[in-house]
Amino acid sequence: MTIKIIIIIFLGLASGLSVGSGFVAFLTVLGIIPRLTQLTKTMKMIQSYEWAVVIGALAGVWASLRDPSLNMSAYFLIPFGLTGGVFIGMLAAGLTEALNVFPILAKRIRLDGEIVILIMAIVFGKIFGSIFQWIYFVHR
Amino acid sequence: MEKTVYIRMRNRVQTRPRDPIYLKDAAQIIADDSVLSKLQKIIIHQLSEKDGNIVVIDVMKVIELISKQFDDIEVQTIGPAQTIIEVVSKSKGVSIPFFLLIWFLLFFGSALTLMNFHDDVSMRSVQEKIYTIITGKKETKPLLFQIPYSIGLGLGMILFFNHVFKKRINDEPSPLEVEMFNYQMDLDNYVILNENKESMKRVHDD
Repeated sequence: MTIKIIIIIFLGLASGLSVGSGFVAFLTVLGIIPRLTQLTKTMKMIQSYEWAVVIGALAGVWASLRDPSLNMSAYFLIPFGLTGGVFIGMLAAGLTEALNVFPILAKRIRLDGEIVILIMAIVFGKIFGSIFQWIYFVHR
Repeated sequence: MEKTVYIRMRNRVQTRPRDPIYLKDAAQIIADDSVLSKLQKIIIHQLSEKDGNIVVIDVMKVIELISKQFDDIEVQTIGPAQTIIEVVSKSKGVSIPFFLLIWFLLFFGSALTLMNFHDDVSMRSVQEKIYTIITGKKETKPLLFQIPYSIGLGLGMILFFNHVFKKRINDEPSPLEVEMFNYQMDLDNYVILNENKESMKRVHDD
């Protein structure tokens, strides 16, 4: 019995370790935290940003495993949704940049000066796709 | 007495087709006034049809030309060892239909990609669960979460690329500009090695 419990504990710890380090590695590759500190010039606070990621991830684990109920006003969802959206938007932007899509595309159609227009196409596409999905698509 | 001439090749030079390329176009020169104007007018390359649109001028060729014309000059080179001459035929504008095609390709492409991503990671059930956690009620359409989320998605991308419709948040180059620069440098390096006949020697070249 004890040996079974020890094996379970070990397995849980091992899988948590790999998922957690994978998440952090992914964030590092996409360079979101450096980007945010560079924009806001808060390089000194980078350690507390690390803790924000760790605590946030743990809160997510707690919420998804324990099904808590906070009984708060639904309007708390607005800042929550907005910040979550910004984070995923940055993930997507980091991924697009890592794949080197824009430089090649912009050079092909000789639009080197105004890649902003191409970025805006993707930004509006993302907003449109997301709103379309939640308002219309999922309820068909 | 030998005079010293300092030459620094430029990285990239744009010219019109069939133009002669003078030394002053392809390089910065520091020299004594007595030879400077002569040096500037040395034709280092005459563009022709068969050159294509990229020509690489090696600094060795420049030194050879200079030492042929002046026998009392010592050439010192600084900086890049070659210049990439880019032949710009006529200034081609962006073709509007082509541009619109790409724009809508990107627009609908990213819209679809995002919908597939949401479906793939079961975003919908997670959002319903978040709604239940916060409010304690069940809701199949948690729009109060979803609309800000969608707008935030776009904001996040703009923030990452540091563009608020061309206005900058601060002065640093955006990662995309750095990426464009790196891509151009890679292209230039490739061209320097592959278009420059002097920089490679193959077994079967003779």
